Amino acid sequence: MNSNVEPAKGAVCSKARLFDEEYLLDPYPLYQEFRDAGPVIWLEAYGLYMLPRYVETRRALEDWESFSSAGGVTMNDIMNEKLSGGLLCSDPPRHDSLRKVIERPVLPRALSQLRERVASEAKGLIERLCRQKKFDAATELAHHLPITIVSDLVGLPEEGRERMLVWAPANFDCFGPINARTNAAFPVVGEMVEYAFSQCVPGKLKPDGWAQMIWEAAHRGEVSLEDAPFMMNDYMGPSLDTTIFATTWLIWLFANNPEQWRKLRENPAMIPAAINEAVRIESPIQNFSRHVARDVEIGGVILPKGSRVIVSYGSANRDERKWGNPTEFDIMREDSNEHLGFGHGEHNCVGKNLARLEMRALLTELIPRVERFELHEAKPAINNVLHGLKTCRVTVH
Amino acid sequence: MPRVTYRLPDGRDCEVELSNGQSLMEGAIRNGIGAILGECGGSAMCATCHVYIEGGPVGALPSMCDDEDAMLEEAAAERLGNSRLSCQIRMNAALDGIVVRVPEEM
Ligand code: HEM
Ligand code: FES
Repeated sequence: MNSNVEPAKGAVCSKARLFDEEYLLDPYPLYQEFRDAGPVIWLEAYGLYMLPRYVETRRALEDWESFSSAGGVTMNDIMNEKLSGGLLCSDPPRHDSLRKVIERPVLPRALSQLRERVASEAKGLIERLCRQKKFDAATELAHHLPITIVSDLVGLPEEGRERMLVWAPANFDCFGPINARTNAAFPVVGEMVEYAFSQCVPGKLKPDGWAQMIWEAAHRGEVSLEDAPFMMNDYMGPSLDTTIFATTWLIWLFANNPEQWRKLRENPAMIPAAINEAVRIESPIQNFSRHVARDVEIGGVILPKGSRVIVSYGSANRDERKWGNPTEFDIMREDSNEHLGFGHGEHNCVGKNLARLEMRALLTELIPRVERFELHEAKPAINNVLHGLKTCRVTVH
Repeated sequence: MPRVTYRLPDGRDCEVELSNGQSLMEGAIRNGIGAILGECGGSAMCATCHVYIEGGPVGALPSMCDDEDAMLEEAAAERLGNSRLSCQIRMNAALDGIVVRVPEEM
């Protein structure tokens, strides 16, 4: 990366090492410093710009011609090279054709067919956990739907499913700038790619699963046969930790804000607002990047063509310029649907409605059974771009 | 304050006062009407706030934007000529008395 170049005029220089462990654990004070310092930050340590505020982040996500994904959305050249041309790292028109195939099974009408199945699975799980009373929400509660139902719908070969929980976060670690964490994760991601190419092939996939549907689309010519293996991980890769973390944050947030849980119990129709608010305030994906494809003015700074800029969903979602009391978890907040935690623009999350459906199902079963959550212990999961808890032990009363 | 009637799948009619600027989706949810899911929170991205306009001052409805039109194609219940996304209709005095039917499937 061009770490020795002079930053653009007007960008605020910072020596902060956002991807060091102490900041990954708690990035929020640093984000706040950045937001106060200006709309465009130059992170000297990485040779990257960053947009810490809401307005500029949203604008960048809407302007793919200037802020390109085809030039990579991770923060290092090796990973950008590996992902190049995939759904996440492409621009229109290529992106449109890949997206059309990937989104098919998770569009609203298709999802509505799943609602009952997910609801009954959630009921069984929550009944069991409520009898047990004390459990780890990060694993026992949050893993179940993504790992049983979603895995089954995607239909990847059995032997890879367990490994997915190791592969998927490693994949996200590789989105960071090169550091020890990124380097340690590369070989693990290699395994995932190997699995996609050798195991995720017709004959080994579940015949009516979503992964198999990609091959069928390729045979119809909607995408090329060479693209299909690269698309095998587009469902599992981004759906596990993101949904698991969001679910865990919901429980953690309600444990810490019992009056919010009371409000939700009084009016369960507010479930979507509660989910949006949790995704806003804790943003399971904190930071991706965009490649500056042409000189572009943003926040009064001209970013030069060829540079790279971090789009910070996590910081934008706590921007005091956009949100009143941004650090407060408030399910009654009126504009919580305007958060950027599911992205925005061309690449907005394909699976957002699936994730919401899963979380709704769990909350729906918890509401009548749980008066309050007692939190015993929470431990963070550390990742270059994800933000979540690996342990969240609670007792339900 | 202007009023809206939600005709629910179980046959009940629910008449509610909304504040100006509140969407018909928010109005339902804040008043505990769970038959409208409103999963995305009002961003025209989920089609789970689909309603049929049944009566009242239909001439005062805002016109449909492209996002709403596209998302209605994805609605679980059949799209009809009077289909709208309730999150895209903001209440105002002229809409007082509007009647919407909530489909069973969302
Ligand atoms: C709470 C859970 C989730 C969160 C917070 C989340 C977050 C995000 C974000 C921020 C992006 C935007 C990336 C960008 O701007 O470049 C994204 C894209 C994406 N998400 Fe999710 N996601 C979640 C769940 C899921 C699920 C369940 C799936 C499974 C289908 C999924 C699949 C994808 C895919 C395939 C993309 C790439 C879309 C594209 O490039 O067009 N996500 N997600
Ligand atoms: S609430 Fe999602 S489309 Fe209206």
